[in-house]
Amino acid sequence: MRPLLAAATLLMLVGIAWALLAAPTEVFQGLPQRIMYLHVPAVVTAYVALLVVFVGSVLFLWTRQARWDRLAHSAAELAVLFITATLVSGAIWGRPVWGTWWSWDARLTTTLVLWFIYIGYLIVRAWAPGSRGARAAAVIGIVGVLDIPLIHWSAIVLRTLHPQPTVFRPEGPALPASMLPPLGVNLAAFLTLFVALLLLRVRQERMLARLVEQLEAA
Amino acid sequence: MGYVAAAYTVVVALVLVYALTLVARQRLIDEMAEAAATDEAGR
Repeated sequence: MRPLLAAATLLMLVGIAWALLAAPTEVFQGLPQRIMYLHVPAVVTAYVALLVVFVGSVLFLWTRQARWDRLAHSAAELAVLFITATLVSGAIWGRPVWGTWWSWDARLTTTLVLWFIYIGYLIVRAWAPGSRGARAAAVIGIVGVLDIPLIHWSAIVLRTLHPQPTVFRPEGPALPASMLPPLGVNLAAFLTLFVALLLLRVRQERMLARLVEQLEAA
Repeated sequence: MGYVAAAYTVVVALVLVYALTLVARQRLIDEMAEAAATDEAGR
């Protein structure tokens, strides 16, 4: 875990330095466009975390093994962290470019709904411990993922303030080639950080479960 | 540059605060494990 955390820290330092000091300045937006090097990796990492929640929740409901629940719970906590980073960085990017911190357009609203769904997931975990809470949370974890296609298609199908996808498109990225390497490093940094924190969090949940078992047996 | 600095500061701070809560939680778990082991040895 420590080598992973060290790798994530190193990648993040390189990625941030590259994004702030060496990446090209975009012609229309100017400096605020550099927030993209945070915003895009944050949302991709949030989606990966939600995919882990989905897989963990499905496997928990199927097998009833607590380890899948521990995986889903840990990933949900990280998903909330990265969705928060997405919303906050997007708002700060929106102010100089759109002239507003927030707009109730389809993409922003569906992303906020996603955040609320997983805040709800964590509230259920906190207020209903045990297998009943785990089952309810697993259902929320599965249903919540359905919001991701809505978020993705909202900017394509509907007229939104948020631009259409420029990185992950079937026809390839629309970004200039010189912006892709710093974006790639930041994406690798966020994903490495996610894996490191997830492993740490799952280990904590396992240790806690063992402690509870010990206390109940005593 | 102010908006860019604000975005990077807020996101890094978010991650750091979360990492610190994990460290605090780990300390708590270690203390609980130690107390449980002491109880076990005392029995």
